[in-house]
Amino acid sequence: MPPWLDDFFWTYQNLVYALGVNGLLALSIYVVLAVGQLSLGQAAFMGLGAYSSAIMTLKFKLPFLLVLPASCIVPVAFALLIGGPTLRLSGVYLAIATIGLGEVLRAVYLNIDWFGGALGLSGIPERAGIGSIYGLLAAALAVLWIIGRSHIGRAMEAMRTDETAAEVMGINVPRYRLGALLASAVLAGLAGALSAHVSSFIGPNEYGFEPAVTILSFALLGGIGTPIAPVLGAWILTLLPELLRGLADFRLVFNGVIIVIAVLFLPNGILPFRLRRHGRP
Amino acid sequence: MNRRHLLTTALAGATVTALPAFAQPAAIQVGAVEILTGPAAAYGIAIKAGLELALDAINLKGILGGQKIALTVEDSAGDKNQAINAARKLIGRDKAVVIIGPTLSNEMFAVGPVTNERKIPTVGTSTTAAGITEIGPYIFRTSLPESDVVPVTFKKAQARGMKTVALMYANDDAFSKSGYDVMKASADKLGVKIVATETFGSKDTDFSAQLTKIKALKPDAIAISALVEPVSGVVLQARQLGIGPEVQLIGGNGSNSPKLGDIAGKAADGMIVGSPWFIAKPDEVNQKFVAAFKAKYNKDPDQFAAQAYDCMFIVAAAIERAGAADSEKITAALAKTSFSGVMGPFAFTSGRDPASADGVVVLEMNGGKFGIAK
Repeated sequence: MPPWLDDFFWTYQNLVYALGVNGLLALSIYVVLAVGQLSLGQAAFMGLGAYSSAIMTLKFKLPFLLVLPASCIVPVAFALLIGGPTLRLSGVYLAIATIGLGEVLRAVYLNIDWFGGALGLSGIPERAGIGSIYGLLAAALAVLWIIGRSHIGRAMEAMRTDETAAEVMGINVPRYRLGALLASAVLAGLAGALSAHVSSFIGPNEYGFEPAVTILSFALLGGIGTPIAPVLGAWILTLLPELLRGLADFRLVFNGVIIVIAVLFLPNGILPFRLRRHGRP
Repeated sequence: MNRRHLLTTALAGATVTALPAFAQPAAIQVGAVEILTGPAAAYGIAIKAGLELALDAINLKGILGGQKIALTVEDSAGDKNQAINAARKLIGRDKAVVIIGPTLSNEMFAVGPVTNERKIPTVGTSTTAAGITEIGPYIFRTSLPESDVVPVTFKKAQARGMKTVALMYANDDAFSKSGYDVMKASADKLGVKIVATETFGSKDTDFSAQLTKIKALKPDAIAISALVEPVSGVVLQARQLGIGPEVQLIGGNGSNSPKLGDIAGKAADGMIVGSPWFIAKPDEVNQKFVAAFKAKYNKDPDQFAAQAYDCMFIVAAAIERAGAADSEKITAALAKTSFSGVMGPFAFTSGRDPASADGVVVLEMNGGKFGIAK
């Protein structure tokens, strides 16, 4: 590799990682939004994945190949705990419960010394890389695309547009909702584990309400017609602050203006297209 | 049409970013990562001001036979990922040979491993938590860790007759927690009995439960480790609950801000705080710095500006001694620093922390303003 290309890659290495991780987070919120539910617990699930994987690596010295799949277990357990009761109700109960989950977990990380308290966990070895991050992102995209085109995808879209009608048509709505929440917990948990293993430090304040809203905005900007749309939204929102670095003090202003313009003129996201489906296979 | 808009703006942004790299090829590139936007921006802006004031003086005569230092300050917005991106951009694109910053200890824990791996000397001017310089052999700091400042304050309190102390701290913030650990260790070391340990959140406004409990225990002193806003709240409520001047109030580094007087007013009178720097320090170097700062920015410098001001000189002197803009040589030169600035005499320990806490002064609140404690 020529030295300038090496330097270029080194400079943007963290950004390249962040694009992949945020892509996974975008898919995680997409799965929930695709069945017409609103969850603000993506950051909390990500935190669970990050903390559980960091502890497995730091305290139990487990190999990363084992840590990565195991990092989904804790978020899935919490998703079951929260989703079980709330998903049987209609309305915003999932959103409320997941906001609560994020805040409760933050207090737990802070008050239990084993989680590092306010100092967080540092010195996490760099185990993840381009291969693991983009491999998982590509796999997740492919699986969601295939599911989206199948009869499950049709059911999901039906639920999103009109829940009552979907239920009358014989779709088991609570089951689909829970399935979506579990899938989203898996994706967020993986994203958390990957990000913890590329940035060497995690702290309790990284997985609160604010990042949850950022993750939601990935899908708002990109759209939820296809799985690729929220990923594109995530990439734009991750790249913008770095592309605008040259504007120095005005960079957040421009960042905000661009997002406002995009949302005003493209209310269905920048990729408003729907998945194409043929007859039931 | 809108998509095209987005693309043009993004491209324009990219072009603007690319330009400064070609602007001054001869200058020595130094990068700084500081919080310039967001809730903690006050710290980063003060640091940037201190760095730039020192840079003006350095570039007046230049170093290494007339070469200038080009300082690029990148914003981290207090965010771990943006701090890493900024440091990588400064090293990879701007070819910075030294990195100053980042502002917060949490950011240093994320940025340090990256710069250390690349063997770029990194000097923190405001990172006081424990374990910073243990990240690696290229990580330095010029800010005194809490473990150097707090014992001085505690000794002062003990000289005034403190035998028992109640500790209070914000448990949701790395800086406050780290300060509490040091307070606890200092009390143990001095043989001061800790009668109570109470915690609160940085954004709490009601501390009456904790203070009522402490009042009943009648300690000689209350030591508080938190940022200035919650400390002010604690002090105000302590007075309301009838905790009078017979109880010595002790603050950590977070209380060392003029804001304490602005918010708590006379309620904070009698509180003592250890500080590596004090605006009214009488020596000539400090008075010149304060005058120059006021002339350039039309406001008083704070501790963060003072620390940054010294750091810029320390870095420039290390480049001069290294004889070339080479990171490896600068690291070696930094380790041999012997400097005297606004904070007093300065050298690094073999662990790359400040060697002496001789510059620490104990300040006391009086009439809503800090003065040197007698």
